[in-house]
Amino acid sequence: MNTAMNLQGADDGTPSELQTMIADSVERLFAKQVTRQLLERFDAGHRADSLWQMVVDNGLPGALVAQDAGGSGASWLDASPVLHAIGYWQAPLPLAETMVGAALLAQAGMEVPEGPITLIQAGRHGDLRLDKEGQYLEGRAINVPWARSCRWAVVADGARLALVDLRQPDITLAAGSNFANEERDTLVFTNASSQAIGQLQLPDLHEPVWHLGALVRACTLVGALEAVVDKAVLYANERVQFGKPIGKQQVLQQYLAQMAGATGAARMAVQVALRSASDLFLGVAGSSNTLAFDIAVAKVCAGEAATLAASVAHQVHGAIGFTHEHTLHFATRRLWSWRDEFGSDAHWAKVLGQAAIAAGSEGFWIGLTDRSL
Amino acid sequence: MQALDIRPCRLDAKTQALRAEVRAFLAEELKHYSPAERAKGLVGLVPEFTRKLGERGWLGMTWPQRYGGHERSALERYVVLEELLAAGAPVGAHWVAERQSGPLLIKFSPEVLAPQIVPGITRGETLLAIGMSEPDVGSDLAAVRTRAEKTEGGWIVNGSKVWTSGAHLAHYMITLLRTGAKEEGNRRAGLSQLLIDLKAPGVTVRPIYNMLGEHDFNEVFLENVFVPDDFVIGQLGNGWLQVTAELALERSGPERYLSSTQLYLAMLDEADPQDSRHAVSLGRLAARYAALRQMSLGVAGMLARGENPAVPATVVKDQGALLEQAIPEVAHDLFGDQREPGSDLDQVMRFLTQSAPSFSLRGGTREILRGIIAGGLGLR
Repeated sequence: MNTAMNLQGADDGTPSELQTMIADSVERLFAKQVTRQLLERFDAGHRADSLWQMVVDNGLPGALVAQDAGGSGASWLDASPVLHAIGYWQAPLPLAETMVGAALLAQAGMEVPEGPITLIQAGRHGDLRLDKEGQYLEGRAINVPWARSCRWAVVADGARLALVDLRQPDITLAAGSNFANEERDTLVFTNASSQAIGQLQLPDLHEPVWHLGALVRACTLVGALEAVVDKAVLYANERVQFGKPIGKQQVLQQYLAQMAGATGAARMAVQVALRSASDLFLGVAGSSNTLAFDIAVAKVCAGEAATLAASVAHQVHGAIGFTHEHTLHFATRRLWSWRDEFGSDAHWAKVLGQAAIAAGSEGFWIGLTDRSL
Repeated sequence: MQALDIRPCRLDAKTQALRAEVRAFLAEELKHYSPAERAKGLVGLVPEFTRKLGERGWLGMTWPQRYGGHERSALERYVVLEELLAAGAPVGAHWVAERQSGPLLIKFSPEVLAPQIVPGITRGETLLAIGMSEPDVGSDLAAVRTRAEKTEGGWIVNGSKVWTSGAHLAHYMITLLRTGAKEEGNRRAGLSQLLIDLKAPGVTVRPIYNMLGEHDFNEVFLENVFVPDDFVIGQLGNGWLQVTAELALERSGPERYLSSTQLYLAMLDEADPQDSRHAVSLGRLAARYAALRQMSLGVAGMLARGENPAVPATVVKDQGALLEQAIPEVAHDLFGDQREPGSDLDQVMRFLTQSAPSFSLRGGTREILRGIIAGGLGLR
């Protein structure tokens, strides 16, 4: 067909050797270690400390940090299987946050501390601000991921980055959690001090923690989406009702196909955003103005897909999927949580919608093809 | 999920200049087209416009020179297609011939039919229709009853085809029919594709007016129509495989998500950026545009690399139709009782609200597509 005579299409998606290696090692680790028992213990209030140690031993927290700064030197695309696997296996760790925090610190030329790091964007989810010199912090930050488990926080305010030791008396913590019992704490800073300050060299990416936080949540959402699609397909093929597997029912096939389609859209949007993030951190010209757009698209698509997929997966599983014994809820409770975090799909849709309205009929298509809306 | 995977595809720098060239051409050619006229897109049948594209070298862009093609890359062709559709150019006259009939003839009749027919397609002069469905057949193509009986030097065809877009303008129809019986356990055996000259004696084309009162599709009656042996496409009995190969080309193109674009654009011009309802609703649609564009482009890349993206292409069409059908509903939600009668928004909304039901019917109904996707997921 057209293909027979045609030359070649640029393939932007072939995984690098490093990406394949990272994917293999993280899959092997999580498939073995993130068991139902571990997740049940986590829900009962036990932190997955030994899993964290294994993740550290595998060098995953520093995946996005340059080699000369002590990391693996992976690009965002290379390291993306880690983020995907956190979602797919529902690994209850501050790993995505630590990877981003470490990447930002290294990018700003700051030293990366040992141990888990959480993320705060000044002025989002609260009113925390850095003072003019970047030395003191004042205000409140809510829904701070894994704050109880993290000694350190990376706080971004404009292009300024501060590393803050959370174990100082000028910071008080009120414990909270998302629907999946993952720590989402409230921190109140009263003239608290930062331990190091730096400047990010990522021009045009305003609110870097807010954007990159949304990107990692979109990645983990896609991982969890693929997990629920797999679980639902497996269950539909196994469960026999009225003398045949329920997956033979056309109505279930329709639901599952729609859920898989929405997951495919989210997956594509995330892939594109990861490529932009890779380019931006590698300093490829022009990448920053596509990244903000790509992230907004990815978070909207992933959030919308989560809404549909959680609903379909539960419907397909019937009553057994509503039991504590079944593992489906480990994934669906995370879908419902992560779709809200670092900006819900409605939040990012509003950002995109305002840009589209400003572009109008003359500018929309140009903005869409340039990915610069 | 593996079977559904689409890898991103990046357009190379070569396509940028081409995109600018197409935009400049369209700005000039379409400057007197109202939004309502642009909304027609795929059902805008303007043979004169098609010929202009032929003159520009924008038809059969990827085909070999011996058939009048231009041997450009699939991604260059993709850029031209998406620019034409986004601008609302009237591309209906040539669309199926350029998308699937030319490639079919080049692949399955490279020495006989392709040299005769394809150069006319690239010039925008020869128009084709596709006769697949029949009365009482609907989506179940293996049930076609139109048949060809062998006669000296050719075939005698009897039967009828329905929902045949553009048959009233086309010169030829690629016709799926029976040249042999079904086999035990294989309903798909005995199907073949013949090229039928629509000017031949025994052919009658009758319009079917759609619910908007417009004439796009037709019923085609074939009564003792003689078709020479040379007009058999590919192998006798191989019709099912040939048709399914065509469908991968039919399902993933940018026409599968851009059909309601003129209504989206009209809404952007009426919307209030300070109104959260407007911004959120239109932003959700913008995100879906962005994702679908990358998915459609990704499948174009897979086709260009010679992969067989039948299931991913089906996902694009299913998701694309959801976007196309969501847009009139958002227009209803945001501007249902507050738009100026006769305004651009009003006219485009009138047309697309009533056209939208067809978006999940043509090229495979939503239910058929999802059955294919379910198969790709490992169900059934």
